[in-house]
Amino acid sequence: MATLANSRLVEYDLKQTLSQKPLQGLWRLATGYQLTYIVATAAMGLAALAKVATFFLLRFLIDDVLPMPNVLQVLPLVALAFVGVALLEGGFTFTGREMANRVAEKVTIRLREYLFDHLQRLNFTYHDSAKSGDLIQRSSSDVDMVRMFYAGQAIMLGRILLLFIVMLIALMTLNVQLALLSVIVVPPVVALSFFFFSRISTAYEAFQEQDGKLSTTLQENLNGVRVVKAFAAQGFEMNKFEDDNQEQYRRGKVLLFNHSISWPFTDFLIGAQTIFSYSLGVIFAINGTITPGTFVAFTGMFVWLVWPMRNIGRLIVEISMGLVSLDRVQEVLREERELLDDGVHQPGGDVRGEIVFENVSFEYEVDTPVLNDISFRVEPGQTVALLGSTGSGKTTLISLIPRFYDVEQGRILLDGVDLREYSREYLRQQIGVVEQEPFLFSRSIRDNIAYGVGREVTDEEVHEAARAAAVHEVIMSFPNQYETLVGERGVTLSGGQKQRVALARTLLKNPRILLLDDATSSVDTETESAIREALQNMMGDRTTFIIAHRIQSVMIADVILVFDQGRIVQRGTHDELMAVEGMYRQTYEMQARIEQDLEKELAHVGI
Amino acid sequence: MSEYSTFEEEEFYTSFDGRTFLRLLSLMKPHWPWVAGFLFCITSVSFIEAYLTFLGARLIDEAIIPGNLDALRSIMIQWAVLIVLLSAGVFGFIYLTGILGQRIRYDLRKRLFNHLQDLSFSYYDKTPVGWIMSRVTSDTMRMGNVLTWGLLDSTWGIMAIISGVIFMLAINWQLALVVILIVPLLWIVATEFRKRIIKYFRLARRTNSQITANYAEMIQGVRVIKAMAREEKTLGEFGVLTSRMYDASYRAAWWSALFLPAVQLITAFGIGAIAWYGGWQTTVGTMTIGGIQAFVGYVTMMMFPIQEMARVYAELQQAIASAERVFSLSDAVPDVQDRSGAAEVESIAGEIVFENVNFHYEPQKPVLKQFNLRVAPGETLAIVGPTGAGKSTIINLMCRFYEPTGGRILINGRDYTEISLHSIHSQLGIVLQTPHLFSGTIRDNLRYGRMDATNEEVIEAAKVTGVHVFIMALEEDYDSQVGEGGVLLSTGQKQLISLTRAVLADPEILIMDEATSSVDTLTESLIQRSMDTLMVDRTTFIIAHRLSTIKKADRIIVLNAGEIEEMGTHRELLKLKGHYYSLYTKQFRSEAAARESAAAEVSTQQPVPGR
Repeated sequence: MATLANSRLVEYDLKQTLSQKPLQGLWRLATGYQLTYIVATAAMGLAALAKVATFFLLRFLIDDVLPMPNVLQVLPLVALAFVGVALLEGGFTFTGREMANRVAEKVTIRLREYLFDHLQRLNFTYHDSAKSGDLIQRSSSDVDMVRMFYAGQAIMLGRILLLFIVMLIALMTLNVQLALLSVIVVPPVVALSFFFFSRISTAYEAFQEQDGKLSTTLQENLNGVRVVKAFAAQGFEMNKFEDDNQEQYRRGKVLLFNHSISWPFTDFLIGAQTIFSYSLGVIFAINGTITPGTFVAFTGMFVWLVWPMRNIGRLIVEISMGLVSLDRVQEVLREERELLDDGVHQPGGDVRGEIVFENVSFEYEVDTPVLNDISFRVEPGQTVALLGSTGSGKTTLISLIPRFYDVEQGRILLDGVDLREYSREYLRQQIGVVEQEPFLFSRSIRDNIAYGVGREVTDEEVHEAARAAAVHEVIMSFPNQYETLVGERGVTLSGGQKQRVALARTLLKNPRILLLDDATSSVDTETESAIREALQNMMGDRTTFIIAHRIQSVMIADVILVFDQGRIVQRGTHDELMAVEGMYRQTYEMQARIEQDLEKELAHVGI
Repeated sequence: MSEYSTFEEEEFYTSFDGRTFLRLLSLMKPHWPWVAGFLFCITSVSFIEAYLTFLGARLIDEAIIPGNLDALRSIMIQWAVLIVLLSAGVFGFIYLTGILGQRIRYDLRKRLFNHLQDLSFSYYDKTPVGWIMSRVTSDTMRMGNVLTWGLLDSTWGIMAIISGVIFMLAINWQLALVVILIVPLLWIVATEFRKRIIKYFRLARRTNSQITANYAEMIQGVRVIKAMAREEKTLGEFGVLTSRMYDASYRAAWWSALFLPAVQLITAFGIGAIAWYGGWQTTVGTMTIGGIQAFVGYVTMMMFPIQEMARVYAELQQAIASAERVFSLSDAVPDVQDRSGAAEVESIAGEIVFENVNFHYEPQKPVLKQFNLRVAPGETLAIVGPTGAGKSTIINLMCRFYEPTGGRILINGRDYTEISLHSIHSQLGIVLQTPHLFSGTIRDNLRYGRMDATNEEVIEAAKVTGVHVFIMALEEDYDSQVGEGGVLLSTGQKQLISLTRAVLADPEILIMDEATSSVDTLTESLIQRSMDTLMVDRTTFIIAHRLSTIKKADRIIVLNAGEIEEMGTHRELLKLKGHYYSLYTKQFRSEAAARESAAAEVSTQQPVPGR
């Protein structure tokens, strides 16, 4: 079950493309499409040649055809040639762009899919500390910036440079002096456009930043509309928004001012060059150095030689922004994955469910042990209850069993084999986890329940699981029943309902080992007994770990482990633990006292 | 859910709606000097550009062919002057247009925001926040852009074509008439291509937001995916989206790659015509070489204005759809607003009576029917009952976030719709279940209770609730930032701040929706104490969840399905052994258990790394 090789989607390991040199990284990212991209650029060069041909044709028309005696017979052919040359130019332009875009989209789909897969395979430690907003930004807008590099900036830069080279060479064949004197303006135009675009992009960032701030102000106002109205604070809110709004206007003005001086500046420079070059051309034509047709061709090509150059600054600024994005994407790619298929032990069927902890210690950060020298044994089908305060290590212990984290000291044996010898994938198929705050996906309730099952399931199976988790009735009361969407676009489920859907989801998966992390914490009192019954149905002959606060939920367990600060302080059955002085009996007595208090109160009222 | 469908991020093509268009244009009215300014600049620029091409032709015919250097000089002087004017014109139109666009956007945002402050809860209940956000941000941008850059580009387009045609007609009208034929052809091609490009582009954009949502969900639910060993399948599902995205973006790119060559080809037919017909005309002397050059120049440049105009045309359709949505928002009338002649009153203290109140959010589903309730001044009324019983509705009506659809609510014997909203809201204190904080400092958030409170008063109030101690422990005490939505504070701290606001407001009527979320024991006792202080001698409505709160109330009403099922004091209701009794005993057990484990936590509190 080689997961990577199995996947139809992730066909190329992008780790190979990592490079300290950003341009090299971009080049490697296009592995497999590099030749296509070179051909695309070459096609842009050919298109530029075809454009040159148009102007040479014009020159031929003026200098050679018009003086011909049989001009009227030749003219239709010349007209046809113009169309033919345009067809060539168009064909090459189209081919170049089509190919470049194809490469861009191929690279993007590769990057998106790899990144998606990579993220879901990074280990828990990474996800514990990563900020989801940041990860989302890297995988959406940063990837898009990389796409734009291939689809736009790189090919455009190539086109402009090739156009410049081809036009310059062509002009030089007409007249070297004229050609060279016509590109004097190019270096200052490029430098100026770069200068202005750096400023524009700074101003644009400031503008965007304020745009974000304005949106935040607006969103907070809309979300807090009750508070605003309740305190009659509309006037205050309007002033606050007004400040942000004016700042946005001000920054917009700065941005626009930068734009408005940058364009006329280069317009003016190029205009001056035009006057100079055209005058020179006219003088050359008058004294016979060049023909009138050459002059006409020259003026046409001059436009394509000089004007595109003022886009170079913009492209360079955009490319540098794209490289920053690439770097942010690469940062994620450098992270190590959690291997799913690294185990050597591959049992044919299901596990029996015997679990042994041998002197297990665990820490997330150095020198802050969360579990300390834990040893215990669970027979197949037994239920283990973990009791203890928050932070005593219960959840951590449970997380070790599906290898969410690997044990570093001591070992855990499943059916007599070290956990680390099982592949994570196999283990997780055998184990079901219900978390304290379960996460549901924004799809239908049915799909959520069938989420973990790797096969098609019938409606009957789904309903049965829901019934067992005591959530069927609730689901049937929704207008769209099992097809009801969860989340923003559908219903908002209460904490207890979510937990019960999560229970049904785990139930349908039918795991051999069941881990319940405080699975009844947000269940309201009315459904609690139904849930407890459902849980008992679930446990059956599975090995079960259950974290709970209430004695009633743990008393049925075969083994009860009482935790305090990462250690097991008491162990035994309910009866055994009740027989001795200790935390367990204290907790039991406190909870029993509550009942007495209630009875006292009711008696006091006189019932 | 069907009502959501109206709020889909639809980008429909509306048929061209003239009324909305005129209304859109009227947004420019207050800025007419700017509009006139940029229209003048752009018209001049397009004329100068056309004239420069004409000068190029004269260069050949008057300087090169006759070999006349004087002509060169005079033409070049004209040229230089025009370049200066052109640069000034370019500066002018970018500056004027850009700033005008910013002004229009500023105006629109301001108008919408201020209007939003007046809209009633019924509007907010029906309308997702995200939808409103898009109206105020992206729609205003689209409208501003089309009114400025759109108008600019299309004016430039039209003027460039007109001036080009004028010069061509002046040079050789027969050839001009032939060449003009390509204009409608270019227009058809441009609009047809635009339509297809936009279609796929939108599809790509929609798919893109699905992809982003998919990323977000995967990242948030990564624990479940891992626990279920479902990576393969998740990636497979994602692959469907990326394939769809590839198709859509590739098609959009394909059509745009073909667009330019297609336009160039049409232009080439024009140039062919010039070569053929123009060439022939030179032999009979009705056309010059300069003329041919000018014609080639005009025809080549013809494709740019057409391209721009096709783009603007497509954007205009989108902008009209945007304008429709924006106007629907700014035209929405608040359900709850002051009646004419509503009285401003100093005080709203006194008896409160719900008299045969009917209420529904949706016509077919009554929430309250013939509801009657009388609350004495200074009384604390606790409201309990299951979800959906109508507890929040009573509070919403009391706050006049909604008004009864039948019957009346009297404050001190006077129908409260006769009193101004401002009078009522300034004397109401409201503490919500989930406290809402605004980004800014703690002081800003506290002062929300009473905007004109002095620093001393703010601190005084914070001392009453006990939040002062915690604030002083922060590095920048009252000037500490709370973060967006108060993320930098704990739930309990947010609740205390929200209570402090109410203390600062010192309202005559207090309305509370008690929080259910658990907080640590110390904060819990602070919250309890503050609530007790607040309720003394104040008419109080409270949706109660905690036993201690319920027990302290002067009166408890048990709501069920919009009706008062039981009413009385704690003791009276227990004796009934009815709904309240069973609620109470259940509540008692679970609350005590929670208190139990909370107490255990405090004793062994230690940081939990990771999650």
